[in-house]
Amino acid sequence: MSATITTSLYGVAATLIQIVAVGLGGPLLVGLMAKVKARAEGRVGAPIVQPLRDLRKLLSKERLHARHSSVVLPLAPMIILAATAVAVAISPLVSTHPFLGSSADILVVVYLLLTGTVAAALAGLDAGTAFGGMGSSRVMTIGALAEPALLVAVIALSIQSGTSNLPSMMSSTIAHPDWVFGPSRLLALGALLIVVIAETGRIPVDNPATHLELTMVHEAMILEYAGPELALFSLGEAMRLGLLFSLVANLFFPWGIATSDSVLALAVGVILLMAKAALVALGVALIEVRSAKLRLFRLPELLAGGFVLSVLAVVTGLVTK
Amino acid sequence: MNSTYVAALELAAGAVLVSAVMTLWRRSVRSIVSMLSLQGMALSAVAIVLALHEHERALFVTGCLVFVVKGLVVPGLLRRVSRLDPRSRESRPLVNVPASLVFAAVLIVLSYVVSSRITSMSPSEASHLVPIGVATVLVGYFMLVTRRRAVSKIVGLILVDNGIALVTFLLTSGVPLIVELGSSLDVLLVVVVLQFLMVSMRRHSDTDQLTEMKALRD
Amino acid sequence: MLILWVLFVPLATTILAASVSWRPWIGWATSASSAAVLGLGIALSVATMTTPELALHGSLRADSLSAFMVVVIGTVSILATLFTPRTMRQEMESGITTSRYARHYVVLMQVFITCMLLAVLTANLGVLWVSIEATTIATTFLVSHRRTDGAFEASWKYVILCSVGIALAFLGTVLIYYAELHTGAGVHSSSLDWTSVMSVAHHLNPNVTRLAFALLVVGYGTKVGLVPMHSWLADAHSQAPAPVSALMSGVLLTVAFYGLLRFRAVAAAALGPTYPRTLLLVVGLASLLLATVMLIAQRDLKRMLAYSSIEHMGLLAIGAAVGTPLAIAAVLLHILGHGITKAVLFLSSGEIYHLEGTTEIAKISGLLARRPVLGGIFGFGLLSLVAFPPFSLFVSELSMARAEVDAGLWWVVAISLACLGVIFAALARHARHMLMGATSSETTVALTTARSVAVPLVTGLVVCVALGVVSWPLQSLLTHAAHGVMS
Repeated sequence: MSATITTSLYGVAATLIQIVAVGLGGPLLVGLMAKVKARAEGRVGAPIVQPLRDLRKLLSKERLHARHSSVVLPLAPMIILAATAVAVAISPLVSTHPFLGSSADILVVVYLLLTGTVAAALAGLDAGTAFGGMGSSRVMTIGALAEPALLVAVIALSIQSGTSNLPSMMSSTIAHPDWVFGPSRLLALGALLIVVIAETGRIPVDNPATHLELTMVHEAMILEYAGPELALFSLGEAMRLGLLFSLVANLFFPWGIATSDSVLALAVGVILLMAKAALVALGVALIEVRSAKLRLFRLPELLAGGFVLSVLAVVTGLVTK
Repeated sequence: MNSTYVAALELAAGAVLVSAVMTLWRRSVRSIVSMLSLQGMALSAVAIVLALHEHERALFVTGCLVFVVKGLVVPGLLRRVSRLDPRSRESRPLVNVPASLVFAAVLIVLSYVVSSRITSMSPSEASHLVPIGVATVLVGYFMLVTRRRAVSKIVGLILVDNGIALVTFLLTSGVPLIVELGSSLDVLLVVVVLQFLMVSMRRHSDTDQLTEMKALRD
Repeated sequence: MLILWVLFVPLATTILAASVSWRPWIGWATSASSAAVLGLGIALSVATMTTPELALHGSLRADSLSAFMVVVIGTVSILATLFTPRTMRQEMESGITTSRYARHYVVLMQVFITCMLLAVLTANLGVLWVSIEATTIATTFLVSHRRTDGAFEASWKYVILCSVGIALAFLGTVLIYYAELHTGAGVHSSSLDWTSVMSVAHHLNPNVTRLAFALLVVGYGTKVGLVPMHSWLADAHSQAPAPVSALMSGVLLTVAFYGLLRFRAVAAAALGPTYPRTLLLVVGLASLLLATVMLIAQRDLKRMLAYSSIEHMGLLAIGAAVGTPLAIAAVLLHILGHGITKAVLFLSSGEIYHLEGTTEIAKISGLLARRPVLGGIFGFGLLSLVAFPPFSLFVSELSMARAEVDAGLWWVVAISLACLGVIFAALARHARHMLMGATSSETTVALTTARSVAVPLVTGLVVCVALGVVSWPLQSLLTHAAHGVMS
């Protein structure tokens, strides 16, 4: 009886730690990538904590809404933040058994994130401006193209471990270290990286630093936001980035995640999670540095490539099983 | 030992297929040719891994030969051809890239279904991977049918050939050495011949666009 | 030892031709070498009648079928090489060729002939594939010899399509080898030697063999010129110099067909006769129908001859589909008759091209009045081609029809006869125009034809007639050869 209570206590603790870690870590990852890019381009760049400072500053500003906007505009950032927070809470990031971890099916997490995307797209349409609508339509296009690749990659991963429950997938990977370098895993990793880049709006899919009207995607969508709502929106997006990076890291290299109930394990889990997510961020930043943004009509090529990689992952998974 | 063998085999065979898909994906002829070179090396890795596992000396020799011919010489020849003509730097597919990638995915699934009938005869770690070879063959045919550039046609031909070689290694640990030597040499010669033809065609009429080849019709 | 000589003679000629620059006597030397091959082929045939299989170190072997193919290659290559000095002289005069390219031409011709001989004499089914693929490489530059746009295009398509097609045959060969390594019955062998494959053929896994044979039919079928991968044939044959077209159409196609005959025996042993029969009937009838359609509206003389080759290859495939000893013997006779006839026709069309400057049917008219000998040879060649008695093609087509009827394939006979009727009408129409059409007034004087052209071609036609009238010297060889590829 008391063992169960301890377990669930540790689970709740892990959940809280995850939310805090991703909530702070997400913006830090954004800052880190900006810093890496700046350095690679020979600039000093803003400090890594800059996104957090921006958030604080935005939160203290006055709320401003566009004239013709409806209730969607203030509601959307909250939905995004809430959906992302729930996904973060149930995913095995720091510990393999966070509170409600048994419901952390990979599909649940994917669709929680998608809920956020839909809310963002609606928000872009809400003010009725040309740019917002354009941004929304582009985001949804990219999302629709990334979706098949994502789902098939998920299938590939679950073929190997025989389950789509995230905690079990990670535990089984820990039990079978030889899976990590199997072709199926590597292909799925490639596919997921492409999807993650698309979903988080990084180069070569989208350039988060541009406000050039012809090329911006995500920035066009949030053009009407200001003040605390922009802060919530950005925080939601940053957490989403943090969650995706951590999930990719943990799916392919789960070692370090807390599998037992002890403070030490949780502490190690947090630190290693930070390190792994930072590594993924570093990799993505390097990709960003090395590549140019693709023209919008070239995007289907990239995402179709991701899709084929994931199909390859499924087939090789079936073949080598 | 055994699990390392299986992992190495799977990795090398996987690399063959991925590089095949990459040739459909990439546009610049230069990177397509590097993918081809990578594929040749992965193919030779498959042969060498199999040879070490089954202590087949002939297969080891074949593996080394494949490395030289398909990993170095043939891509080198293609690079030279593509350097001759700066216009041929980009391939111009008849079917656009996303559609051909999706089609490639269909082909890959198809090859999995088809080859399961053959491999059920003698299941082994190696023969499980046969679908990968069949998929490479199909991707090669797809490339041959849908690409206009002369270089792309040659690439398609080599893909077909590499796929068949992969199937050969996986199913039979290589056909007798003499046949293997002959077929490798044939591939090399075909590429040389095609290169010659391309060069003379270009010198002759300044084109390598196969769509412009319309002199002969019924 | 005889086998080695068959390969050694053309090889020595190749080296000779490669080591000295072009002189007309080298052309005559190549003819002499082909004559020697023919002689050795006949000697081999006689030898195989008593000892059914001659082997050399296990890598070369000859049975009656191989010996017969050597005879075919020898015969047709004599005809083709006799025209080498003449063709080269004409081309040098008109500035198409330099002595450097003439040397390439002779060397490649000899390499080509040697590869074909190796294909029919090797014991190993893998080497068979290698040498057939090698003929593609050897003939590429022969096809592009004229160095025109059309010639380059034709040889490009030829290499691409044939290499792609023949790759499938390699996959098929590998699958047969795989089936051989894993026979269920405990017997297995680990070589691709024809004899060892045949010894375990009954135990090959049917699933694998089925797939393998389908791949082999499409693969070797490409080289044979069978539907669906036939499209290179008309281009290559129409663009190549006439002696090359003669060799390609006369023997290269049938050497590839020889590969199919061998594998048909393996497939029939493993799967029973029905599956190979169905497959071969499908490709054979499809080729026949395609050739019929293409011949009706053909505008080019050499393309017309090329499509007629597809027609005859279709007939061969149908004959092989029947697969009885009678049918196979008829197929073999047909191979020889078609080889000689097609060589005569291509060579005379080369002469026509040289004299008239065109191969367009519409622009050639009244040949018989203007050039009686050449026109006559061409006309009789066409008669032989449409299987008029007493030419040997008549005998072989009749025997094939009889074998088909015996096998209960009435409908196949009906379709083939209908196609042959249409083809006869089409060719007769084209021939009527070319041979007896109106001529312009100033060229009514009959021109003579060089004896060096007339003599070999007439001899070729006479041989065809002789084969048709008295095929008895070949009778026992053909049946012997046919039994060699029975399961």
